[in-house]
Amino acid sequence: MSRWIRLAARNLRRHARRTLLTGSIVVVGFVAVTMTAGFVSQTFTSLGAATIRGTGGHLRLLDPKAAGKTDDEASVILLDDWEGLSAILGKDPRVAQAMPKLSFFGLVVKGDKSGAYLGTGTIPALERGASLASDTVVSGAFFSNPDAEDVMLGSGLARAIGAKAGDLVTVMTTTPDGGLNAVDASVVAVLSYPIKEIDDRLLFLPYRAAARLLKVEGRANTVAVLLKDGVELDAAARDIAGALAAAGRPVVVKTWLETAAFYKQVKLLYVAIFFFMGLVLSTVVILATANTMTMSVFERTREIGTLLAIGMERGQIRTLFLLEGLLLGVVGSLVGAAASFVLRLILNASGIMLPPPPGGTRGNLLHVDFIPLAYGLGFAVMSLTLLIAAWWPARRAARLNPVEALGHV
Amino acid sequence: MPTPGGSRASNGPYTPRVSILEARGLTKIYRLGEERVVGVSDASLVLQAGEFAVLAGPSGSGKTTLLNLLGLLDLPDSGSLVFDGRDVSALDERARSRLRRERLGFVFQAHQLVPVLSAEENVALALWIRGLPEDACARRARAALAAVGLAGLEDRRPDALSGGQRQRVAVARAVVGEPVLILADEPTASLDSETSKHLLDLFEELHRERGVAFLFSSHDPRIVERADRRIRLLDGRIVADERAPVGARA
Repeated sequence: MSRWIRLAARNLRRHARRTLLTGSIVVVGFVAVTMTAGFVSQTFTSLGAATIRGTGGHLRLLDPKAAGKTDDEASVILLDDWEGLSAILGKDPRVAQAMPKLSFFGLVVKGDKSGAYLGTGTIPALERGASLASDTVVSGAFFSNPDAEDVMLGSGLARAIGAKAGDLVTVMTTTPDGGLNAVDASVVAVLSYPIKEIDDRLLFLPYRAAARLLKVEGRANTVAVLLKDGVELDAAARDIAGALAAAGRPVVVKTWLETAAFYKQVKLLYVAIFFFMGLVLSTVVILATANTMTMSVFERTREIGTLLAIGMERGQIRTLFLLEGLLLGVVGSLVGAAASFVLRLILNASGIMLPPPPGGTRGNLLHVDFIPLAYGLGFAVMSLTLLIAAWWPARRAARLNPVEALGHV
Repeated sequence: MPTPGGSRASNGPYTPRVSILEARGLTKIYRLGEERVVGVSDASLVLQAGEFAVLAGPSGSGKTTLLNLLGLLDLPDSGSLVFDGRDVSALDERARSRLRRERLGFVFQAHQLVPVLSAEENVALALWIRGLPEDACARRARAALAAVGLAGLEDRRPDALSGGQRQRVAVARAVVGEPVLILADEPTASLDSETSKHLLDLFEELHRERGVAFLFSSHDPRIVERADRRIRLLDGRIVADERAPVGARA
């Protein structure tokens, strides 16, 4: 086989400029695929981390009665004695922290202005460590006193009611019993949440204040469990559910992936874009290579006629052209891999800030992950693509009539 | 099957008169649109081992067409062809390819070498396609090049060789597989007279020393003069088949 590879390599070198041009398309295609994969991967990682922090943890514990319910329906079903649950969870070495979450909504009023909010009652110290919110303070300081009636508002909501850090606002809501309740709270921080729709409604209260407001002390909509780094998610979820059931506290344990509809939608969208882009790139590579190979067959018609005349099998002719395509794919992919690796290092060191995503308010630092799988797949796909591109010209070469080919001018 | 007549070469090895090719009523008609062009019509001939024959005739007389049919490069519209005692008229493409690479050698008007291969590799190519080991191919290719007087030029690519040297490489490629018959289509057409003479000397030498049969297609009078059998064609038909007297060429 080595002699045929050698011959294929020399045939590629015969038209060095044309080979270089086609090869560069392969290189660019490979770089585009691997860089996009790295960028998308980093986006998934960031989005995943943001989603985990946005919900306060990797796992959510719900009352069994909330299983299968919509979010609205589940919001009125509360877990009892979250502190008892938390104590059991604390025995699992994989658990970093567990905190209650109360979800509520209503109106927040300052003077004659009011705005609708979506509120979260949580433990300030735990929220700071687990949540995205602590990174988004634009004025004031992240709440810290678990007993105080302090409130943090999204910047959109604060703007709507004309509130700023230090102001006093009234937080009104409806309790699960249907009664109306309100609490006066000090605005301690204004947050700029990355997603505008949330930013326009965001409100945080310490858990105790929220529980008093809702009249549900000791209870919570959910307990958010943050796991330590590197813990296998599904195994932890399974074990925790088992441990709580064994302790007489059956709960439904949902992983962040099960509840992250936005993350899943974005991931699906990115995968679709990535697939479409790959399809377009493959088509471009196939067309460019097929064109090059067809020209090569045309120019080498007499040579092919000679090879057929001296007894070369049609299959050998076909193999020779396929090898040329494959070789171009392999070499182009290897050069592409090197170029992609270097370009990735340069981009990651460049400190380029990306604009905020749709609906977001903050941009992210450009980072491209190294995805060995993408390099491997890119290599396989590019090589296969070049083989496909070479197939038709190779078939054409193999089907030439030797007499006509020898007489080709 | 042996036929009477003994060897042709006065100073070469004994070559029994064994027919290697028997053509019976070969006809080839080309269609150019509505027009039917007769390439070869009802051509019959027997070519024997060790012959040094030429298909002669003016341009368009059907020399190359007949050579292609006899060389299993093309299929006749009618007629039969027996090669090595076996009817090859109905052989499939694969079997014909195999016969060409194992029993026949070809020399073309232009050298038709692969430009990206060295002289040695061009010659070895005829053995590569048989699947022989690399070192055996190289060894035999070097020997064939030496036999055609190109020792020392093995590593040169065709573009670094003269026209005559290229044609010698093509001859080495034709003989390296030890064929029983070499078919040469206008081998001197693109060469000057001096180079042509040297090439014809080489053909004669190979013929004499190896006993390989040659069938040329040419209207070059030097080839026609040197051949001991002249098969003349006109308008696709064999109009004469003359044998030179034994020893007349020497």
